[in-house]
Amino acid sequence: MNVALGRAGVTLGLAAAFLGAITVGYGLIRRRPDLVRLSRFYAALVLLGGVVAFIAMERALITRDFTVKFVADNGSTKTPALYNFATLWGALEGSIILWSTILGGYLMAVVIKFRRRLADPLVGWALFTMLLVALFFFYLMAGPANPFRNFSPPPGFDGPGPNPLLQNHPLMAFHPPMLYLGYVGFTVPFAFAIAALVTGRVGEGWLLATRRWTLIAWGFLTVGIILGAWWSYEVLGWGGYWAWDPVENASFMPWLTGTAYLHSVLVQERRGMLRVWNISLLCATFSLTILGTFITRSGVLESVHAFTESSIGPSLLTFFAIVVLATVVLIGWRGDRLRSPGRIDSPISREGAFLANNVLFGAFAFVILIGTVFPLIVEALNGDRISIGVPYFSRMTMPIGMALLFLMAIAPVLPWRKASGELLRHRLAWPAWIGVGAMVLSVILGARGLAPVVAFGLGGFAGGSAGRQLVLAARRQGWRGLVGRANGGMVVHLGVVLIAVAFAASSSYVRQAEFTLQVGQSASFSGHTLTFEGTNNRQESAKSVQQALVRIDGTGPWGPSLNKFANGAQTIGTPSVRSTLTDDVALSVIDIKGTDAPVLTLRVTVQPLIIWLWIGGAVMALGTLLAVFPGRRRNPLDPVSAPTGASAPPRTPEPLAS
Amino acid sequence: MSEATKPTRSPLRTWGPWVALFVVVVAVLSVATFTSRTAPTAQDRVNNISFTIKCPVCAGESVAVSNAPASLEIRKEIAEQVQQGQTDEQIRSYYAAKYGEAILLTPSASGINALVWILPVVALALAIAGLAIAFRRWSISDLDTATDADREIVAAAMAGEPIDPSPDDEHGEGNSR
Repeated sequence: MNVALGRAGVTLGLAAAFLGAITVGYGLIRRRPDLVRLSRFYAALVLLGGVVAFIAMERALITRDFTVKFVADNGSTKTPALYNFATLWGALEGSIILWSTILGGYLMAVVIKFRRRLADPLVGWALFTMLLVALFFFYLMAGPANPFRNFSPPPGFDGPGPNPLLQNHPLMAFHPPMLYLGYVGFTVPFAFAIAALVTGRVGEGWLLATRRWTLIAWGFLTVGIILGAWWSYEVLGWGGYWAWDPVENASFMPWLTGTAYLHSVLVQERRGMLRVWNISLLCATFSLTILGTFITRSGVLESVHAFTESSIGPSLLTFFAIVVLATVVLIGWRGDRLRSPGRIDSPISREGAFLANNVLFGAFAFVILIGTVFPLIVEALNGDRISIGVPYFSRMTMPIGMALLFLMAIAPVLPWRKASGELLRHRLAWPAWIGVGAMVLSVILGARGLAPVVAFGLGGFAGGSAGRQLVLAARRQGWRGLVGRANGGMVVHLGVVLIAVAFAASSSYVRQAEFTLQVGQSASFSGHTLTFEGTNNRQESAKSVQQALVRIDGTGPWGPSLNKFANGAQTIGTPSVRSTLTDDVALSVIDIKGTDAPVLTLRVTVQPLIIWLWIGGAVMALGTLLAVFPGRRRNPLDPVSAPTGASAPPRTPEPLAS
Repeated sequence: MSEATKPTRSPLRTWGPWVALFVVVVAVLSVATFTSRTAPTAQDRVNNISFTIKCPVCAGESVAVSNAPASLEIRKEIAEQVQQGQTDEQIRSYYAAKYGEAILLTPSASGINALVWILPVVALALAIAGLAIAFRRWSISDLDTATDADREIVAAAMAGEPIDPSPDDEHGEGNSR
């Protein structure tokens, strides 16, 4: 029943995407608006197909219908309801269902948003592109990654349940959907970029049309990545949150190119320049999401996240190649229209800063790409196996991160066109002193070492600049000074600064040790006292839990545990973290020996400022929301270049909202 | 010193605060660098080393991250080696000899592996050089890059004729500014 329903959904989506692409494509070429407008029906059918497949799989999971192979492989009668629901995206085939359903949702959203322009070739070609992408993902579900395979369970069969790591923390229910909303969201601006190339309308129209879509996708991706870091901090138990794992890298690369795009697009809106570059960045972002899916889902690279080896690798690689090739060919074909006669007057200007931003973000993404795929390349070339891990990425990305912080401090105060030294001195004075203040404060509080103290200083500098812009905007416009793209962007910058400072502090001053304690014994470490009070062993539906009760500085008891899941031989630890605004004490059990007089081996990780990573993430999300919120509309007839000298219209300050 | 009509700020007032800022930064950074914290403990060294050694049985994790029995064993072993007074490099090469080069998470800077360190630096240098050349060309190029077609449009507009948008620009988005 569920198999039939699911297959019906997949077939419906596949057929709708296929027929839709043909109909819309034919209508566009033959100039038949009536056919092009049919995209709305096909989009609705694609979404319906995805939703039906999604519901069928959830229904199968909830009713534990083991005649569906996916449920037999990943479900279990013992899994608690929340994790059972989240099992859908806990393995490869199900995650493609989620991907396709979200894609259907975005497709429908585009149709609704552009309902009056459906016959416009730009929108038509964008929908055509999205239908092709949908076609590919429904093909994956129909063929190589079919989630609705049959299985005949023997009597009394119970599945193994999802990977133990994936049923250990509620964040699992939110992190993958957020990430996918981000990944898939970039399909929309990508589709419009392709449409702009095909129609030759490579001006700024498509940029404006997709501005908000890009921001929303970027916001989801940001939140998804940060939730992922949080999840790994709360679950993996080694005391860290970011391990430069291939899957983390795969999500971070499109974020970097997407961030570069969000900035460089402003140059094009303002000056009409960088057209090829912007289109390339968008296409890179989209193809990196596909490449990331390939790297992590085809089993070519080892990763804690990688699902078991599957047959979708060749399909994904082919699709990636098609995307890249199509983009390159289209850009080459439209080369003449993409050339823009503009020029940038001075490197010390807003547009110069955006160029520098792009170079740095590009280098960042390149380092991560090469660090991730280099072992594959070396093995293909001479058969050697090498590994690249945390030390490489830390060393290579730290200088880039510092340079980006510096740029974040300078760029917001730079005017378009050309900045004078006097103007810079005036505008940067306060931010620079805030940066110095941050350095002095950090050293007084005991921070040592060149790199972290420089990072704190640059963080203060960048935060000061963002704060200065916000204060000025709020003074001028009241609460509206916090809304709109530029101001919301400054709030995002503040979030980035919080994360950068927290990252620098926690990675520079992390202290970790292992202790072996008997009941009643205490250990002191890095200014904290840990007392082992006893154990609490119990049986839960899906797992048996060995929990240690530990007091940290008299608070608690905190209960890190070892969990043994019914299905697997694997023992999974669940750390316990005491967070305060200044530092985190994370406990994880390495081993508990004996039951009557238990002996605990405990790993303790003390890191400063961890909580500010999550607060920074929340600030970034808030800033994105503010940026999406419509700011003050620019009159389309206003000149877009900066007013110069005396000819500038007199600025009347808006009355403050009372 | 300065003319009464056009007060210019003295260099001291202009640059004074920035020199002060520079001095403070240098002072703070030298305090931060040279009054070092307590030397790294044996435990810190064990942690640092174990981040650079891959867990031999798991998927791409370092022995610092993984909780597999093999990793616990290696961490214990590293602790012993540190206690015996071996250097970080000695310990790392011990594992490289035992398990092969792939056990080290930091690729060596020799042979083809050096590329992974060099390529990003080269790419960044090329990008910066490219930008520098672009700025040079922008700064020496003549501002007047208008084509004859552009001049015709301007002339037509000045003469008060309505501007005819090109046929495929029905939405007024411009297609080749």
